Amino acid sequence: MRKRAGIVSLAVVGLLAVSMPLLAHHGNAAFDSKLTTVTGTVTEFFWANPHVLVKLDAKDASGKTLHWTVEAQNTVSMRAIGWRPDTFKPGDVVSIDVNQAKNGTPIGSTGGSSPTAPKRRIIINGKQFQ
Amino acid sequence: MSKRPLILVVAVISLGFSSAARAQTAADNQAQQDKWNNVSPLRSTYAGKKSGPAPVRDISGIWDAAFEDGGRQTSGAKEHPAVYPGNKGTEGGHPDETGITHPLPYTPAGLAALKANHPSGPSVRQVRSAISNDPINECDPLGFPYMELFELRTLDVIQTKNQVVVISPFYGNYRIIWTDGRELPKNEEPRWNGYSVGKWLNDYDFFIETNGMMPQSWIDHAGRPHSDQLRVEETWHRVDRDNMQLTLKIIDPKYYTEPWLALDKFPLHLQPADFDIQELRCAPSEMVKYNDKVGGVVLEKK
Repeated sequence: MRKRAGIVSLAVVGLLAVSMPLLAHHGNAAFDSKLTTVTGTVTEFFWANPHVLVKLDAKDASGKTLHWTVEAQNTVSMRAIGWRPDTFKPGDVVSIDVNQAKNGTPIGSTGGSSPTAPKRRIIINGKQFQ
Repeated sequence: MSKRPLILVVAVISLGFSSAARAQTAADNQAQQDKWNNVSPLRSTYAGKKSGPAPVRDISGIWDAAFEDGGRQTSGAKEHPAVYPGNKGTEGGHPDETGITHPLPYTPAGLAALKANHPSGPSVRQVRSAISNDPINECDPLGFPYMELFELRTLDVIQTKNQVVVISPFYGNYRIIWTDGRELPKNEEPRWNGYSVGKWLNDYDFFIETNGMMPQSWIDHAGRPHSDQLRVEETWHRVDRDNMQLTLKIIDPKYYTEPWLALDKFPLHLQPADFDIQELRCAPSEMVKYNDKVGGVVLEKK
């Protein structure tokens, strides 16, 4: 049997499905000023800096599940308005009013964390948290 | 006579004591938990409260900046925020600070140095985070005076025989101010927090001079620059037992035609001695985790 020259190809492991920014940490200018209500199930609550994150699965208007990331401020600022490391747990059903990313990605900001400003509406398992 | 009613009464009393004991334990547990990670009081907390006389030559204690007094300084030093009247312009995009409410007296070299700094905070020259060159975005130390001109929240001030130590939770910064009579060094290697000496002007005013700050550090979150000639003067004025005022002056003849106040009698409030200051560090590993969890999604075009 005639041997064929082996052709070795390498998968380009570094090719990602989305672009990897140098630094994903971004300014407020990336978010829309109007509020969007996101309702879904918490998959992760990341209590750390530079931003506390709430990840949740929520369905869009067509019924498709979107993996949302809701970004709050740093841990100290969030404690000042009543958040704690156990405020959210995986499996919680929540509704949060957020400023969505201007480019339409399922990322939202909870806005500033002034302890004197009106708080964003957050419902956790049917109870109003704030 | 049946013993059953007596047994029942004893059982009910026991249950009552047990519930009370459990409630007391839960309350004790919560009280212990509440000792940690204390939250800064609102300014209204202090309204109407009478203080006492200021202790002599003493600025020690845990000093907190109420949120409403503007210690966060996200648009630059409190006395000179880089915003237009009405707090407008925070979306950035402007080449310089022309038109801001309280402009700074830049020399030509200072203005050129300003334009080389690209801040990411809400100010007239804000740029997209992806292209900001603020050293603190890479978790570099804040340095001084940036540590008092951005996220000024709670300071722990400790006085020893020959030092005053100022500890700031934001970025885990601390400063040593020598009070042993030494002079400021000349031509020493620069340090992020520089070199500081302090002395009492009288029984209630502690005066600090600082030089030798790292050239790549910024003055504030609006990207104000400083040269190697920067000298900072502070006065910590003990008003009374519970209140302090912090004044901070920038002196840099290479970049600014005259000195300017970055803080002017900024109010600090004494907290109880058991106030536990929360951490707020910039940890590169946490930044990596954050970037991973945001999913690498590009929110801003490069």
